[in-house]
Amino acid sequence: MEEVKKVRRPPDPNSAKYKLGQIAAKAYSDVAEAKARGEKIGWISSNFPVEIPETLGIPVCYPENQAAGIAARGGGARLCQEAEDAGYSNDICAYARISLAYAKSGSAPEQDMPLPDFVLCCNNICNCMIKWYENLAKELDIPMIMLDIPFNPDDEVSDAEVAYVKGQFLEAIRQLEGITGKKWSEEKFQEVMANSCRTSRAWLAATSMARHTPSPFNGFDLLNHMAVMVTARGKKEAAEAMETLLKEYQDNHEKGESTFRAEEKHRIMFEGIACWPWLRATSTGLKSRGINMVTTIYADAFGFDYDSFDSMIRAYCKVPNAINLETSRDKRVKLCKDNHVEGLLVHTNRSCKLWSGFMAEMSRQIGEACDIPVASFDGDQADPRNFSEAQYDTRVQGLTEIMESRKEGAK
Amino acid sequence: MSVQIVLEKFRAMAANPKGQLDTYFANGEKVVLVAPVYTPEEIIHSMGLVPMGAWGADMALNRAKEYFPAFICSIMQSVLELGMKGAYDGASAIVIPSLCDSLKCLGQNWKYAVPSIPFIPMTYPQNRRGDVGKAFTKAGYERVIADLEQATGTKFSEEKLAASIAVYNEHNAVMRQLDEALATHPEITAAQRCDIYKSAWFMRKEEHTALVRALLAELDAAGGGPEKIKVLVSGVLFDSPALLAILDELGFQVAADDVAAESRQYRTDTDPNLPPLEGLSEKFSRMDHCSVLYDVDKKRVDLIVETARSRDAKGVVVALAKFCDPEEFDYPLIRKACEQAGLPVVLIETDRQTVNYEQAKTQLEAFRDILA
Repeated sequence: MEEVKKVRRPPDPNSAKYKLGQIAAKAYSDVAEAKARGEKIGWISSNFPVEIPETLGIPVCYPENQAAGIAARGGGARLCQEAEDAGYSNDICAYARISLAYAKSGSAPEQDMPLPDFVLCCNNICNCMIKWYENLAKELDIPMIMLDIPFNPDDEVSDAEVAYVKGQFLEAIRQLEGITGKKWSEEKFQEVMANSCRTSRAWLAATSMARHTPSPFNGFDLLNHMAVMVTARGKKEAAEAMETLLKEYQDNHEKGESTFRAEEKHRIMFEGIACWPWLRATSTGLKSRGINMVTTIYADAFGFDYDSFDSMIRAYCKVPNAINLETSRDKRVKLCKDNHVEGLLVHTNRSCKLWSGFMAEMSRQIGEACDIPVASFDGDQADPRNFSEAQYDTRVQGLTEIMESRKEGAK
Repeated sequence: MSVQIVLEKFRAMAANPKGQLDTYFANGEKVVLVAPVYTPEEIIHSMGLVPMGAWGADMALNRAKEYFPAFICSIMQSVLELGMKGAYDGASAIVIPSLCDSLKCLGQNWKYAVPSIPFIPMTYPQNRRGDVGKAFTKAGYERVIADLEQATGTKFSEEKLAASIAVYNEHNAVMRQLDEALATHPEITAAQRCDIYKSAWFMRKEEHTALVRALLAELDAAGGGPEKIKVLVSGVLFDSPALLAILDELGFQVAADDVAAESRQYRTDTDPNLPPLEGLSEKFSRMDHCSVLYDVDKKRVDLIVETARSRDAKGVVVALAKFCDPEEFDYPLIRKACEQAGLPVVLIETDRQTVNYEQAKTQLEAFRDILA
């Protein structure tokens, strides 16, 4: 019998998915082309103010995105092992291990990326980032530009912190001008800030469409689209693509459609970075039970909407992992309430000490404030060895049963 | 006082911090706990409060698990465990800096796990050398002062801070002197050396200075002892009694250390010619050679090699506290630099919960054979 092949429709070039995919792919190809032309290129951490390299026209690529891509395509264990063979403990963040191993060989079939001439580090997501980039700079013998945005134990960003970060921001520009010979343009900076805010507003609006029941999208979409928020939010094309995404979600809502291809029986918030090596398993475990992950903190994480230099600095001081437990909790409580969340699934991520280190208390408080059940599972953002499908399944099943019994009880 | 009598005093202090805490309370003193790795102890001291080190203890972890996942460094976990079990009850506050991700989490968890002891955060800058960095350190210290005043009802004055800075500078100097002296005294065991350093966390520095001076005087008079195998030890902590006993049993001498709880504390003095608070901030701007202080040049690695050479150490023993990622990131570079310098390195994984160091013993026996 002749095999019947599933015919894949060509992607619609006007769709958000296509546009976002193109931007994400271009993020790598543009930098590779620049490197081939002899331009100096950098590696940059995900929450470094993108406004700086974008304004200066400096090509940069993102090791965190690369590590996630490598892990999702099955290369995580191999590169983690290579780093461990070089002396790095397997306790170290798997993104860092993958990246340090890649920096040594300069090649990975899962996702290549040109080696850097300098690194741009910002620790507003974790201090692990500092150590990782120190080692990259030392091993590759290249300059490191360090923008220190400390963890803020208080509810508000102090003037002292703004002054400190602002001073470093200006110093980073001076250093980069020296390295690349490119010049800062105030006019371009205004344009980049406007794009970044426009992209962020569209992202916030699109992700907030989950407030509708059923949600017009599958929350796992956000994990993919996030790559563009990380790498390209200062570009006009990103703003346009995010506005297209918003429009699609609005249309879906009006038509009663969704990218969640199952009956939406339960709505949860997913806490933590995705388990990239086990994306299908984690996604299927939810979808098969009719659970849509309608929101994550990423919905809020890239909400860089500001109207001045100082407010931009404040925005970067308020990214999720740079804020105290109470502020972190309140942001999540708001997301849960706004999006009618019925359960919280927490990824206790072996790679991320900061994200997981006070999550037990925070999730207890979120559960209480929102009156929702909380379940957690052990996993890892990129090292496949730290995840058990059986444990995941058991925990998700437990969460499902509680959500179901609550619905039964409410009838 | 003979060498042994002074060493006994250090031993008594190092082995019984709870007893020392109770003595301070009995004398009507107010105690402020200081978490790893650096805190502005001089400020606490100047306000008439007793700064007391809170680096955890070797113990099983139970209650801390309600807050921390297993993969957070056991030093932080044991600090929280002790807090939850009431070991620090009566302390007026705890100062926790945010120098690594686990310390950030310790501070956040502390507020809920040990609500009876106020948490005072100290936020240090990593870009600490320039003017903006120094200004930010100063702002952090001002915040600590305000919180201490609120928690203890005591008042801060720059004059008193100047006096405390002098006490700390003097203590730094005497500890550096001690470090040099011990390199020529192999008869002082690794365990005894550790007691001297550890006790500094549980005593007022002027008292500790006096005791160290007494020891130095006795050591001068006593001469040396039979030679042992000199090593440099490195890590956040190197205070496990079982591990120290193995070093002693196998005939190693700690000729120098790069331990966060030991020599890293005493490398940098405050400039007494600057206004006190500014001087203290300036001091932090010059601090270096540590895994939790940003350093793209990894000068710490070079310092380990240079120190080992200058002390004629035959090898380097790295005690890597499990899940301490700042140290874990530095290790491959330490290993590489030492290998290039012809210095053998042995890596011992340590954990506050480890009771049995048999595996470490085997490693150290093999290491001794290599060095011999």
